[in-house]
Amino acid sequence: MTEGLLNVTKVSAGYGRGDIVHNVDLNVKAKRVATIIGPNGAGKSTMIKTIAGVLCRRKGSIRIGKTEIGGMPASEIARCGVAYVPQEANVFRQLSVVENLQMGSWTAPAEFFERLERVYTLFPVLKERAKIPAGNLSGGQRQMVAFGMALMVEPKVLLLDEPSAGLSPAMVEQMFDTITRVNKTGIAVLMVEQNAVQALRISDHGYVMAAGRVAMSAPADELLKSKDVSELYLGTRQ
Amino acid sequence: MNAQLIINGIVNASLIAPPAIAFSLLFGILRFPNFAIGGYITVGAFIAYSLNVGTGLPLWIAGLGAMAGTAVVAWLSDVLVFRPMRGHTPVTLLVVSIALTLVLEHIVRLIYSADVRGFDLPLQRPVKFASMHITHEQINIILMAVAIAVAVHLMLSFTRIGKAMRATADNQTLAEVRGINTTHVIALTWFVCGALFGLTGVFAGLDLVIEPLVGWNLTIPIFAAAILGGIGSPYGAMLGALLVGLAEELTVLVLPSSYKVGVGFLIIAILLLIRPQGLFGRSEIKK
Repeated sequence: MTEGLLNVTKVSAGYGRGDIVHNVDLNVKAKRVATIIGPNGAGKSTMIKTIAGVLCRRKGSIRIGKTEIGGMPASEIARCGVAYVPQEANVFRQLSVVENLQMGSWTAPAEFFERLERVYTLFPVLKERAKIPAGNLSGGQRQMVAFGMALMVEPKVLLLDEPSAGLSPAMVEQMFDTITRVNKTGIAVLMVEQNAVQALRISDHGYVMAAGRVAMSAPADELLKSKDVSELYLGTRQ
Repeated sequence: MNAQLIINGIVNASLIAPPAIAFSLLFGILRFPNFAIGGYITVGAFIAYSLNVGTGLPLWIAGLGAMAGTAVVAWLSDVLVFRPMRGHTPVTLLVVSIALTLVLEHIVRLIYSADVRGFDLPLQRPVKFASMHITHEQINIILMAVAIAVAVHLMLSFTRIGKAMRATADNQTLAEVRGINTTHVIALTWFVCGALFGLTGVFAGLDLVIEPLVGWNLTIPIFAAAILGGIGSPYGAMLGALLVGLAEELTVLVLPSSYKVGVGFLIIAILLLIRPQGLFGRSEIKK
């Protein structure tokens, strides 16, 4: 496997006694988008949490460039340029929008205002809502706060756990659009998605996970064309 | 006469407010009501007593010593007792915290006996105006309580570490993911709250008496103030303290003063029945 920006090699992880993901190899190249698809319970979210350090990897190696991040606490991993957006509870509900964004630049307080302007340009509505507690916003706007907070990190890699979950169809379209725009600024993206077709359309590479293992790894357009994949995971027939 | 009761109520509120704020801050990160606060307050009162009466230091230096010493005791109680038990249910932790308060209280009793003591202070005439009395110590307690409320507000709203405290209380995993070392933030919260409990011990020694039960006797009004304001909300705790402080004193108008301690219980009971989230709390906070 060729070296990427994010390299996951033979990683196993889980909660409690058993492992949920086994021997997973993944890699995301700089400035590219990769998506993990697969049925519920396949270990997709577990995998992304393990990379973020919310869950400790038990075996294997996770590297950003040459830095081994497997086994680091989540707060250290954040300093290595990884920004993880959880599926739920991804904003500080009692903090105002601007305070949420400030927490995003926690590791680089000097650059707060500069980065804030960039996030406001991407999500102008957040500027209007700056003083409102994030918990009082609509679901779509909360998702923008979560996303904006991750961008305040100015990460090398953005890890997104189901970014479109709970959004209206129009908002889903907008969310994928935003991911593409963010990626164009040079940030690599690894996401887990239920909206597999839409996610793969904006991705360079796709992984199919099943029962805690990587069942298939291929360029995204190949996965979209593959008959097996579309019948099993994309819900489309060709 | 009634104006005097209001003054007494404000003094009482000033005694309750700092620990109620601290109790609320701790609840925010721990997610269980820590009833060891009585123990911390007693420890603070006796550290100040030892430094003041034992070694002859002026009370304000003894007070700072009590704040520092109690901060360390509170932090140690997390390291030795609560951290190993994290992940247990709030009810288990609550019972453990009550046990801890008994242990602290009895350690104090073992060293100092159960005698009633007081600080070594020069006697001063109370200030009188329009037939009302207030002692110099009480004026200091009120001024300090206001200063602490303002300081806590400024810290939580405008400082980096204060925002990190709120972020950690709000969503610890997310705070960690954004690069905040939540272990440090939690330790700092314990120190700040411990210092406030230590200071309360000094205030209680000034306004009441110094004895091993001094902290325990304040626990119910502090808890009542914190839940009245909406547990986990430091601003609510400030207002809750004012209301409980006044209510305790004003009931003297209609009830014998020995029933004063019942007022806190009554407030808790009424709140839990009609508005369990407190006046300013969010209903999402569950105990």
